Amino acid sequence: MLEVAGLVAGYASAEQILKGVSVEVGAGELVTLVGPNGAGKSTLLKVVSGLVPAREGQVLLEGRDVTRQSAVERARAGFAFVMQEKNVFGTLSVAENLELACYARPVEMAARRASIYDRYPVLADKRRALARTLSGGQRQILAMAMALLTEPKMLLLDEPTAGLSPKATEELFEVVLGLRDLGLPILMVEQHALEALEVSSRGYVLVSGTNAAEGEGPALAADPEIRRLFLGG
Amino acid sequence: MTDIFQAVINGVLTGALIAIPAMGLTAIFAVLRYVNFAIGSLATTGAFAAWMLNTHAGWPVLPSMAGAFVLVAAAGLAIEQAALSRLRPSGALTVAIASIAVGIILENMLRFGFGNDLRAFDLPLMRDWRFWGLRVGPQQLQTAGIALAIMAAVFAFLRFTRYGKAMRAVADNPDLARLFGMEPRRIAMATVALGTGLTGVGGALLGLDSAIDPMSGSRLLLPIFAAAVLGGLGSIPGAVAGAILIGIGEELSLLVIPATYRSAVGFLTILLVLSFRPGGLFGERAA
Repeated sequence: MLEVAGLVAGYASAEQILKGVSVEVGAGELVTLVGPNGAGKSTLLKVVSGLVPAREGQVLLEGRDVTRQSAVERARAGFAFVMQEKNVFGTLSVAENLELACYARPVEMAARRASIYDRYPVLADKRRALARTLSGGQRQILAMAMALLTEPKMLLLDEPTAGLSPKATEELFEVVLGLRDLGLPILMVEQHALEALEVSSRGYVLVSGTNAAEGEGPALAADPEIRRLFLGG
Repeated sequence: MTDIFQAVINGVLTGALIAIPAMGLTAIFAVLRYVNFAIGSLATTGAFAAWMLNTHAGWPVLPSMAGAFVLVAAAGLAIEQAALSRLRPSGALTVAIASIAVGIILENMLRFGFGNDLRAFDLPLMRDWRFWGLRVGPQQLQTAGIALAIMAAVFAFLRFTRYGKAMRAVADNPDLARLFGMEPRRIAMATVALGTGLTGVGGALLGLDSAIDPMSGSRLLLPIFAAAVLGGLGSIPGAVAGAILIGIGEELSLLVIPATYRSAVGFLTILLVLSFRPGGLFGERAA
């Protein structure tokens, strides 16, 4: 579904953050990226989504090269990216956020929004509220719902539980697992690395912008060396 | 007490006119994050365009204002594409300074073309209405009514249309907008057209209210900017509220200071707001 090969990227005039990273996500897989701060996990998602340009390497979606496409083109091609922060339009209402999530494909919007309200009743209750007034957990659910409304082929999640309470974190994991069970391929960066790897099909460990290890999620989570070095266990 | 009421009425009517170009200035700021100081001269351009259409082509007032909107929107877009957008990599301050230069060029082009004489629209003279010792001109009410209708149309556009909501989304978070298939660049250009077009209409309205000359817009630049700052740069409702308050403030000031010092209200407002409440009345950008 998603193939990332030898990706080199960085921000303007800074050194390379990614130094040849390769990642694959198959159909229906939940794949988690873990690693220390500064490893390039979030940058990788930004490059894959098109927000940061790649200097070298390739990004393929369903075998099609999208490396030179803009973020707008990639959104239309089927990528949905839930950023860690500023992932909703704070000055717009919940209903307006959901409406704008359908911007690239403005058909059957009422039905699509109704299905989101059915799936996440908290959004229906808050539909008139400004997004900036939502709690952290509600905001993440809104961001996730907006991504789903694009009917993506590939979902990118950047630390969806960052800053959430334990209860909200648990609820959000349920949401992510629900999407995985629907067969939606997901590439996720997650601060609760151990828990994320345990429910992932596969995982990648990134260190200093390079691939350090990869394997099945539960196996990586159980690897004593990986736990000691990166997972605090 | 009557003087105070009269000043408030005059202030509201004047503020309604300042509000239109202030909305244009703040809309452009919300999306492109720079203050376009060419707004004053663009307002004058709109005033002259509407005046030409009204007095030379014989168009009625409303079509003349629509013509001013289209012409100034086209001029604003051309200026943005040819000059200002090329300077954006150098930062907002550079673009703002360049917009001052563009304003001076425009103003002198108008002076060259039309001279410095005062010009007035072809309107019937009407006697002021008097009630409870107060006086209101029918023409003032008509221009304020048009201004209110324009404000309502802009609010409805931003609140209820898909493209208006996209403009607000791009103003809020351009990166996120791109992730949902919105083209921030295209939407920014539409905002420039809307903002400068509104400025042109604002200039035309001010021309209906009084005579025009090539400096008309420049004289209004300070109250327009002060209105946008007071309301909170980037906030359309803020620009309207700020304009009404500036209008009232200026008129009330005439009760205690000579008219020459009326512009002190705008200066003082900018100074106080930036010192004590930099976000303005409406806090943050909420176009």
